[in-house]
Amino acid sequence: MLTKYLTKADIVLFIILMILGGVSSAYFSFSGNSGQTVVIESDKKPYATYSLSEDKRVVVTSKNGTNTVVIEDGKVYVTDSSCKNQVCVKHTAISRSGESIVCLPNKLVVSIEGKEGDGPDVVSG
Amino acid sequence: MSSRDSKSKDVAHLALLISLALIFSYVEAIIPFNPGIPGVKLGVANIVTVITLYMFGNRDALIVSIIRVLIAGLLFNGVFGACYAMAGAAVSLTGMVLLRKTGLFSPVGVSMAGGVLHNLGQLLVAAALIEDMKIFFYFPVLMFSGIIAGIAVGTGSVLILARLKKSVLIK
Repeated sequence: MLTKYLTKADIVLFIILMILGGVSSAYFSFSGNSGQTVVIESDKKPYATYSLSEDKRVVVTSKNGTNTVVIEDGKVYVTDSSCKNQVCVKHTAISRSGESIVCLPNKLVVSIEGKEGDGPDVVSG
Repeated sequence: MSSRDSKSKDVAHLALLISLALIFSYVEAIIPFNPGIPGVKLGVANIVTVITLYMFGNRDALIVSIIRVLIAGLLFNGVFGACYAMAGAAVSLTGMVLLRKTGLFSPVGVSMAGGVLHNLGQLLVAAALIEDMKIFFYFPVLMFSGIIAGIAVGTGSVLILARLKKSVLIK
């Protein structure tokens, strides 16, 4: 039914976009191993660095607002934010290097770092 | 028809389209859908943008999307969300206008490009705001979600446009 509306250019564009998406996700999945460190940046400046394996609860305060970051069982998530949209609170927990949780209104970036072959692989369990 | 009549008609149909788009924005805002990744959403209100673009042209589509983003921002997302959504809408609409002009694409293709460009626009603004390239980690997810949402919106628009063209209400 829909096929009568589609043009050749639609399909070419679809294929190009899918390839772009595929290549970029392959790029990120190869570079994303289990990370080791949690890096918190607040207001464009480094705020603190923690080990991913150590459970911790950090309250980050800046002139833009307050966020509570929790490190637990090798995962990081945000439990509380003073911002209006709560995007960071709804975000799934992150655990792989390269992943990040961003709170735009409070200019907070929580990311996981750790180079490949940088220490033993963390086996979850 | 005098120019005064056509002006009133202009105001009336724009108001109608903006209201419709706002209702779609509202419906989407109250549906509890949380994929855990920011920016992943359907964007049903864009059905109105696509239909306006095809039925009334570039100028009207621009007016409808700017006013819709402003009002929806103030009602549901706050001023911060509105500035952010405006960037997505601007990039998306520019892309859709240009693609439509080529005459090669169906509304589905145009809307698919619009969905992807909308997400890219927001991603670029977010990266500029926090001055951090780490946010491009979201690129693949937003790419695929833009493609899917764009196709869904485009399909809806095509089906509605086909029926509207038969309707006596228009013209």
